[in-house]
Amino acid sequence: MTSKLTADGLSAWYGPKKAIEDISLAFEEHAATAIIGPSGCGKSTLIRCLNRMHETLPKTRVEGKVLLDGEDVYEQDAVAVRRRIGMVFQKANPFPTMSVYDNVAAGLRLNGTRDRKVLDRAVKGSLVKAALWDEVKDSLGKPGVGLSGGQQQRLCIARALAVEPEVLLMDEPCSALDPIATAKIEDLIFDLKKEYTVVIVTHNMQQAARVSDSTAFLYLGRLIEVGGTRELFEHPREELTEKYITGRFG
Amino acid sequence: MPERAERKALEKGLNTLNENMATMAELSELAIRKAVDGLSRGDRATAEEVFTLDQELYGLQEEIEGTCVDLLALHAPVARDLRTITTSLKITTDLDRIGRYAKDIAEMSLQFPEGPPPGLSDLAKIPQMAEHTIRMVDTVIRAFVRRDADSVRNILEVDDEVDRLNDEVFAEIVGHMEAGRLAIVAGARYVLVARHLERIADHAVNIGMRVVYMVSGETLPRIRAADRAKRPPG
Repeated sequence: MTSKLTADGLSAWYGPKKAIEDISLAFEEHAATAIIGPSGCGKSTLIRCLNRMHETLPKTRVEGKVLLDGEDVYEQDAVAVRRRIGMVFQKANPFPTMSVYDNVAAGLRLNGTRDRKVLDRAVKGSLVKAALWDEVKDSLGKPGVGLSGGQQQRLCIARALAVEPEVLLMDEPCSALDPIATAKIEDLIFDLKKEYTVVIVTHNMQQAARVSDSTAFLYLGRLIEVGGTRELFEHPREELTEKYITGRFG
Repeated sequence: MPERAERKALEKGLNTLNENMATMAELSELAIRKAVDGLSRGDRATAEEVFTLDQELYGLQEEIEGTCVDLLALHAPVARDLRTITTSLKITTDLDRIGRYAKDIAEMSLQFPEGPPPGLSDLAKIPQMAEHTIRMVDTVIRAFVRRDADSVRNILEVDDEVDRLNDEVFAEIVGHMEAGRLAIVAGARYVLVARHLERIADHAVNIGMRVVYMVSGETLPRIRAADRAKRPPG
């Protein structure tokens, strides 16, 4: 396995508050890595640093490197980085005034693609990859917000895939979904990781165990342990990890 | 991370599991002790007690299985909790089998209604083998109850001694039968007793290896004695 993306001595601040500290973590290509840890441990901050979303908030700062194919993303154009490293958020956020089609095509249009045939092909391809095509192929012109919660989240995944990213960051993508919609997203992650490098932040331990190949445990902004998911959930090396995953914390 | 109330429910279930496992372990050890004692004295009442213990063990095994399935289904345990539950599920079968072999040995006592036939007192190796086997069972049960992996890491080597004694018992019994000092029927039954003891020791090995996994997460390699002998020390 080779590392697609690597955090190297990564620290991040919100104003004076340090949210993550000196995190070094490699994300394998064509694999899913789960990031777990209690609320406020820095999981979301970490993945927001990976595609330079963290710096979009005021008074934030990042130190260290994020290497994408060996090149530091902080020495590249931020917009180009975010095209290569897509993101899906906790709450599905389709553009409220746009149709299903336009939601998926939005990223491509922003990048200047106008050719209808190219857009049609990309929209269909992305919706197929997001396992949503069969459900929306006859209602592409209807508003994206008219879909169910699970469908909206898959629409957001399709939107992220349309610009052909190499890495997909998912920040608690199922936390607002019911078990059936969650299962569909988890199935999707299984398929997506064959083609993309997937990083998923989750509060759901069983979800991390089900979908990821590696799991990283963060606590108070520090990386406590990272390892194969099976090993980490069966016999973690660190006592702190054991306490967290078995609920013996606090 | 499990919620506080859920953690409490899991904790309660794990406590019940541990108590039942400790009871089952103690009863299975008691069953072998009584079975061996009953055989050496040809005591029918002791054999009956072993039959009752075997029933108890079976009932406990069913209860433990139910608890394990509930804990797995309701709490999706991980790490030490998961290892404790899966190990208990496996060990409970070993303990039940130990109880069954104890029952089989106790049944032998009933084959000699007039007490043990002349010859048992000459078969010094059977009591020796029984003692060694019981000690093994006692060691692994203590290790399980105390969550002590270190005391059973060498359990495969300890079992070699029982295997060696089994071969010696066989040779001893055949020798007595050939010399006409032991009836064929009695000799054949004693060979079976030795075989049962040897199987009990094998189940003790299973338990010991699983205790190591439960405590440390480490799976010990199961290497045959002949292959172990070829390995360099340490």
